Amino acid sequence: MPGIYLHIPFCKHKCTYCDFTSFPDKLSFAEAYMACLYKEIEMRGEQLKKETIDTVYFGGGTPSVIDPSYIYGAMKQIKKCFNLSKNPEITIEMNPGTVSEQKIALYKKAGINRFSVGLQTAIDEQLRDLGRIHTAHEYLYCATLLKGENFSADVMLGLKGQTKEDVRKTIELAALSGASHISMYALTPEDGTPIYTDYLNGELPDGDEVRELYDYGYELLKKHGYHRYEVSNFAKKGKESRHNLNYWRRGEYIGLGVSASSFFYEKRFTNTFDLDEYMKCILSGFLPVIESETVEKEDAKFEFVMLALRTVYGISSKKYKEAFGSDWRDDFKDAYQKTREYLTEEGDITRIKDEYLYVQNQILTEYMNG
Amino acid sequence: MAKPNRNLRNFCIIAHIDHGKSTIADRIMELTGQVSKRDMEEQLLDSMDIERERGITIKLAPVRMYYTALDGQEYEFNLIDTPGHVDFTYEVSRSLAACEGALLVVDATQGVEAQTLANVYLALENDLEIVPVINKIDLQSARIEEAKQEIEEVIGLDCEGCPCVSAKEGTNIRDILEAVVRQIPPPDGDTDAPLKALIFDSYYDNYKGVILFVRLKDGSVKVGDKIKAALSEKTYDVTEVGAFAPFLQPKESLQAGEVGYIAASIKSIEDVAVGDTVISALFPDTAPLPGYKKVQPVVFCGIYPLDGSKFLDLKEAILKLKLNDASLIFEPDNSVALGFGFRCGFLGLLHMEIIQERIEREFNLDIITTAPSVSYLVHKTDGTQFYVDNPSHLPPISEIDYMEEPIVKAEIYSPPDYLGSIMDLCQDKRGVFKDMTYLDARRVKLEYRLPLNEIVYDFFDELKSRTRGYASFDYEIAGYERSKLVRMDILLNGEICDALSIIVHEDRAYGRGRTLCENLRDAIPRQLFEIPVQAAIGGKIIARETVKAVRKDVLAKCYGGDITRKKKLLEKQKEGKKRMRQIGTVEVPSEVFMQILKTNKD
Repeated sequence: MPGIYLHIPFCKHKCTYCDFTSFPDKLSFAEAYMACLYKEIEMRGEQLKKETIDTVYFGGGTPSVIDPSYIYGAMKQIKKCFNLSKNPEITIEMNPGTVSEQKIALYKKAGINRFSVGLQTAIDEQLRDLGRIHTAHEYLYCATLLKGENFSADVMLGLKGQTKEDVRKTIELAALSGASHISMYALTPEDGTPIYTDYLNGELPDGDEVRELYDYGYELLKKHGYHRYEVSNFAKKGKESRHNLNYWRRGEYIGLGVSASSFFYEKRFTNTFDLDEYMKCILSGFLPVIESETVEKEDAKFEFVMLALRTVYGISSKKYKEAFGSDWRDDFKDAYQKTREYLTEEGDITRIKDEYLYVQNQILTEYMNG
Repeated sequence: MAKPNRNLRNFCIIAHIDHGKSTIADRIMELTGQVSKRDMEEQLLDSMDIERERGITIKLAPVRMYYTALDGQEYEFNLIDTPGHVDFTYEVSRSLAACEGALLVVDATQGVEAQTLANVYLALENDLEIVPVINKIDLQSARIEEAKQEIEEVIGLDCEGCPCVSAKEGTNIRDILEAVVRQIPPPDGDTDAPLKALIFDSYYDNYKGVILFVRLKDGSVKVGDKIKAALSEKTYDVTEVGAFAPFLQPKESLQAGEVGYIAASIKSIEDVAVGDTVISALFPDTAPLPGYKKVQPVVFCGIYPLDGSKFLDLKEAILKLKLNDASLIFEPDNSVALGFGFRCGFLGLLHMEIIQERIEREFNLDIITTAPSVSYLVHKTDGTQFYVDNPSHLPPISEIDYMEEPIVKAEIYSPPDYLGSIMDLCQDKRGVFKDMTYLDARRVKLEYRLPLNEIVYDFFDELKSRTRGYASFDYEIAGYERSKLVRMDILLNGEICDALSIIVHEDRAYGRGRTLCENLRDAIPRQLFEIPVQAAIGGKIIARETVKAVRKDVLAKCYGGDITRKKKLLEKQKEGKKRMRQIGTVEVPSEVFMQILKTNKD
């Protein structure tokens, strides 16, 4: 069952590491943009109305920065245009600096049952460095409002001057504030973002140091009852993100809004990154797609392996065979032989050994053809 | 007996690198109307990409021109371009044999250089008439009179009234042409005698077969003639003769004294060697001309295809290059680490680099080159002796009585300011000081005996950097000397990589081993496991470094929008891997094999 992703390209302030499509100075466009988004939901709904939607995800930008009634409206539109499953997972990303009791109440009324909160770090100085608009204390306030809800906290590794102690404080804050899920990401300095300068000047921890922090965080998360189910994702039992698991199972998804990507009917495509263009397209009755490719079978097989190996659930021979009609060990004979010592196999399942999950690109390149 | 054309002049140009030889050649061609200015590409003679990029000449390139002199007569000029670098002395000697005279181009700001001298002496040995030309007189720092004085003192040539020109600005170029007419004699020979033509170069043309570059000494040749290569004793029918204009221009016949080309459907590049004499098949007993001094390669290395399946392509490339470069020698070789390839011999390091570059560019092949070596004379305990240039062919230590290594007599010319650092360098390289002469207030000549294997590493680069480019350097092989030499092996992850073995002097082994391991540690990318890099002599480890296992190589986020991007990133990473060679369990980038060259850390 496909998932739906909706992109809300607005925020209060751009974080120094952010290379997502988000416009801090265009909040006044929110109303017009959301009207277009409703229209796009309707257009895609007509095309895909037979599909049952199991997960919905509001990402950004900062979805919580706009008036919550727009989110409510979007959910209403989705319910109208698509066929939702009986027990869908509906997530919204929130910045702790933009929340209120009323907002959360309205989200819940809209059907949202999962929250993803950007904590990043418990150290205020590091939050300032990252250009975040909130403090650790504001995160705690947000978590208090979410008490009893299913929510996730984002934690970042590889920050300027970050120590194990800092990681410990951050993870403990997330755990003790009641998060049922923690995403622990290594900061990726992208060219063109302000933080890239820090990277070029060698001011950020190197790969070895990040790995140290990761291993430390991993142990601590385990101690607090979060199990790793993907490279950067940890959850209490049963609280894994269904929306994200769908990506790694090479499931279909419908991306709506500026810059959103979709994958269905073996086609991958992406909407325009330009806000004006997006709105013009929609208002003229066109889908705002700028890139589209059909995934060939060989490529699809690699995608399956690449995505499956990110998770601890690994490659299921049975599922692979269902998808492609062949045995993955035959399709990737040489690569499999060459990387076997880094894999662990249990019945139907093959996954990367725990200690190699964080160096998996070395293994995956063997599976690429050519 | 009929004499050749009295109005013919065959000459070449001798000059130090960047003293302006190619520019002068261009100006001469321009003035004789050989090439219209509009059509002219800069430095027409240097036609290989590499030659143009590096601003050097490697191959001989002849060109014919007509010039109406001040005496009212028309003269035919054949200009044969020559390389300036010490490695290509062999090519120079070939072009000299085809000429009656040489222009000696000297940069007015630099004076006479060591490498130029070597070629001047070669020209004098060949009885060539030498015409000095002072170039770059347009530069502020030009010291025309001093340059003339230096030529007179060092070489003993009269510079009274010699052409002083600026090739760059085209000043006084006509003076050069007049000097050629006046001072260089017309060729000798007998046009009625049986054909005798010296092959001074050749190349393979896909349509015409081998094109022979010849200088006729006696007789004539035309299309349809039966010719014979004196040494190989093979006969051919001439299909085309002509001149270099500068591209091949067919003509009816070539006469004694002339420079031109012969095509005769010669299929194999090895059938007709450069240095051989073309004679008439009707007079098969014509005595051949004296050939060239056979050159001995002094630097050797292994060349392997990066992709093992491309061995035949590599073979084809080397065979083709060999046709244009008689000095390149090679034989098939087999390495445990690198598979099938060739062991090649070169005239020097520059020659080696150029061949490598040409294989990669002109034949679009990715290759791995092992560190350069020299040829050692091994005396075994059983009394036998033989030469070894491939470290992995050295017998076990227990079977070696002793070894000898080639020694060169080196001459270094430098301003006196750098004497100290040059002497330090030579000391470092196991040099033995022989002599020091002040040529004038600004130039000192140092003579050293140096082991060749120290020179093939980084001697030249070091010399240039320690003297800010002022010193020049020339050497000749001066025989073999007994020396304490050992083979040092490199172990990657516990396995000997034969392609990385080198022969070193015992006293240098520890230092070299340590630096080498450090360089390799930095050059080998981190992999999924820890890789020990060890240097060993006869099973004893003398240095060790470790390439640590990679700790982070993952894309932190991979959601809906990241999948295509992630695939592209992995593809890029895979491309990088393709540039690597699997040695045992370790993936090694092809550049690593040249790391051995670096004796210092950069």
